[in-house]
Amino acid sequence: MPAATTATSARTASRESTASSALAQLTAHAADRMAAAGEWRAEGRPVIGYVGADVPVELLTAAGALPVRLAGSPGAGTATGDRYLGHGVDPAARSVLTRLLDGDYGDLDGLVVSRDCEASARLFYAVRELRRVEPAVRLPPAHLVDVLHLPHRSTTRYVRAKVAQMRATLETWTGRTIADADLAAAVEAHDRLRQLLGEVAELRRERPARLTGTAVLAIVAATTTLPVRRSIELLERLHAHPDTLPEADGARVFLTGSGHDTTDVYAALEDAGLLVVGEDHDWGDLLFHRRVREPTELGLAERYQYNGPSAPRASIRRRAAHTADAARACRADALLSYVRDHDDGPLWDFPAQRAAADLPAVLVDRQPYGSLTAEALASAAGLTNQLGGIR
Amino acid sequence: MSDRLSSAEAALAYQRQWFADLHGAVADGAPFALVNADTPHEILRTMGIPYVVNQWWASIVTAKGRTQDYLGLLRERGYPDHSEQYSSIALGSLFDPDPGSAPWGGLPRPSLVLAETTGDASRKVFDVWDEEPGTTFYPLESAARDDVPPRWWELMPRRWEEAVGSDRLDLMVEELVGLIRFLEATTGREFLETRFREVMALANEQQEWNRRTRDLIARARPCPLSVTDSIPGVMVPQWHRGTTWARDAARAFHDEVAARVAEGTGVCPDERYRLMWVGRGLWFDLDFYRRFQRTHGAVFVWSMYLAIAADGYLRYGGDPLRALAARFAAFSDQLYTPPWSAEWYVKEARHHGVDGVVHLVSDDARGGYFTTRALRAAGIPVLELRADNVDARSADKDALTRTVGDWLDNEVAPRT
Ligand code: SF4
Repeated sequence: MPAATTATSARTASRESTASSALAQLTAHAADRMAAAGEWRAEGRPVIGYVGADVPVELLTAAGALPVRLAGSPGAGTATGDRYLGHGVDPAARSVLTRLLDGDYGDLDGLVVSRDCEASARLFYAVRELRRVEPAVRLPPAHLVDVLHLPHRSTTRYVRAKVAQMRATLETWTGRTIADADLAAAVEAHDRLRQLLGEVAELRRERPARLTGTAVLAIVAATTTLPVRRSIELLERLHAHPDTLPEADGARVFLTGSGHDTTDVYAALEDAGLLVVGEDHDWGDLLFHRRVREPTELGLAERYQYNGPSAPRASIRRRAAHTADAARACRADALLSYVRDHDDGPLWDFPAQRAAADLPAVLVDRQPYGSLTAEALASAAGLTNQLGGIR
Repeated sequence: MSDRLSSAEAALAYQRQWFADLHGAVADGAPFALVNADTPHEILRTMGIPYVVNQWWASIVTAKGRTQDYLGLLRERGYPDHSEQYSSIALGSLFDPDPGSAPWGGLPRPSLVLAETTGDASRKVFDVWDEEPGTTFYPLESAARDDVPPRWWELMPRRWEEAVGSDRLDLMVEELVGLIRFLEATTGREFLETRFREVMALANEQQEWNRRTRDLIARARPCPLSVTDSIPGVMVPQWHRGTTWARDAARAFHDEVAARVAEGTGVCPDERYRLMWVGRGLWFDLDFYRRFQRTHGAVFVWSMYLAIAADGYLRYGGDPLRALAARFAAFSDQLYTPPWSAEWYVKEARHHGVDGVVHLVSDDARGGYFTTRALRAAGIPVLELRADNVDARSADKDALTRTVGDWLDNEVAPRT
């Protein structure tokens, strides 16, 4: 074999292994969400858990803490969480509370909860009350950051006060002052991460697609457990040679409805012949599309107030317009709304979303946490037949 | 003597007449608002804009047996019929093909719907209203606090700034300013500060009467009235608060209860157990509350409607708009957020000397664990009943009755 060819194939092989090893590492971190926290803690640094996409993670990074977004664990049982929250709450929140009480997240130095949905608020109240009335139960100190979303200047003022309050709480927990320069550096890093996530999400929209929806979901999830600089480094490696990744195939579907804190449902859908080219929940595209305008408390307040529109907090009209635009931008051929049991917001959104998107659309509602009923899977898979040869 | 309170009957008669007159006013072009219970009604009152409370209408529809019809109309339009039923029944009634057949001649079409952005779905019900030509939804923020004031019921009348929190009040005042400007611009009605002060003063007077009534009932043995009388006796005037009629109705209700207490009149001839009802009214089965008087000598002496009127509404001093913001900003905390709610239910249970609590736990996000826990920790037997308060599909009446009867026999009776 001529020497030149050998050199070329060696380079190709190395590029492939770089992109795919970055993907493998990200996927592993999505599955073992506390692995990075263990290393961080071993270096004597604080780890702070958070619930919901409305928590300004920049403040956690600026405080020198590792922000770890808490996810539930479908199939692991939620008996403890059910006891305190009742059966009427979104099972994802019941699962998170169960894992917190079971010590699955290790020794957290604090817990910041946003009011991104009613279930998160209820989770916070339960933690606060359990710490008060059942001190034998081991739970970290908890803080509620009340980010609101009506498009009013008065709301911004309020959210800004909540950002300042969270900053003060973090300073108490970590025993160190958050300097403006720390905040600026953290904002810059998290914005860079958002930009990279946007670029990576594009890879599943190209033809041929270079990533599945399942892979993108795992990548996003990994970046909510890793130190931000480590996430940036892995995403840069992944994004440098996308053409070395295997092609992904399937009927191009835009996913709306409930959020997904694990890849189970995506994997089931993609096994059934769909390709999730985009979504509008905050474990996916909705998490990273908006940047911070300036690295200040006000800049953070505006970013988190206006980020969205999420199903539990946005109006039907704003949500329908967003879903239709995003589905178009993703060049989706169909719309699928997956709604988990006890997640009521999306049910009210669906009629307007279907009308605005003007695509073949299916709603599967009252689904179990982390899975689909056989009937729901069949009706989602039915979209591939409706689409016929389009893909 | 009829054991129905004449003040409760008078309130219901007034409400009927008022509602009939409302149809005329709306037909003549008056603005009309449909509002959630936890919104600043006093602003509409001040501006002379008539309003109906969404949850009151749902309770009427349910008591008249029309709930399933209206939920069905929502379902036909692709909306869920198993989510936020209490908030969405009025919306369903909008789609009634035969509005004349609706209870009380039907709900007029509102020009304004007003609600806080609580929960994940309840604001969406109002978004659907907003799609109707001629109807505007004005959403109000619903803020929450990280920390909790102990014994809020002692702070609320005068130290509400402390109880609710300044950030939250700053935000709510801005929301009210925006609402007033919106109403001035769209209805042409005046917001007179002098009138507003009168409205606020009348509302406080009314709640002072409710407070006296609550305290009378707490001390009275035997219990002088049934819950099914106390609910209309308090709530009809509550929906008219800020008027002299409502203030006087609250006083008349008080005086009648006081007279019964003085005579030693009881609603249950053989009163043995005093019970507390925690949760929203069981509108699809109002007879439920009296069933256990006949079988067990058990009388419900408490429901949240009178008690929250007594403890949750009084706001004195300060700028009246800020006082109003403080009245509605923490409503759901007072009733549904631990420890605000849990400690209050315990305080009320002790105040009324109850022998047991029936706690209605619906299949929604509010949950009930901490309330039940707090009551049990105070040594009070609690029965958790699982049902939706307006959707009878969620529970079988006979099963509910049996459950309560068994609990009275097995848990309450042995302890008293
Ligand atoms: S990631 Fe960088 S070093 Fe590695 S193969 Fe690609 S270009 Fe070369």
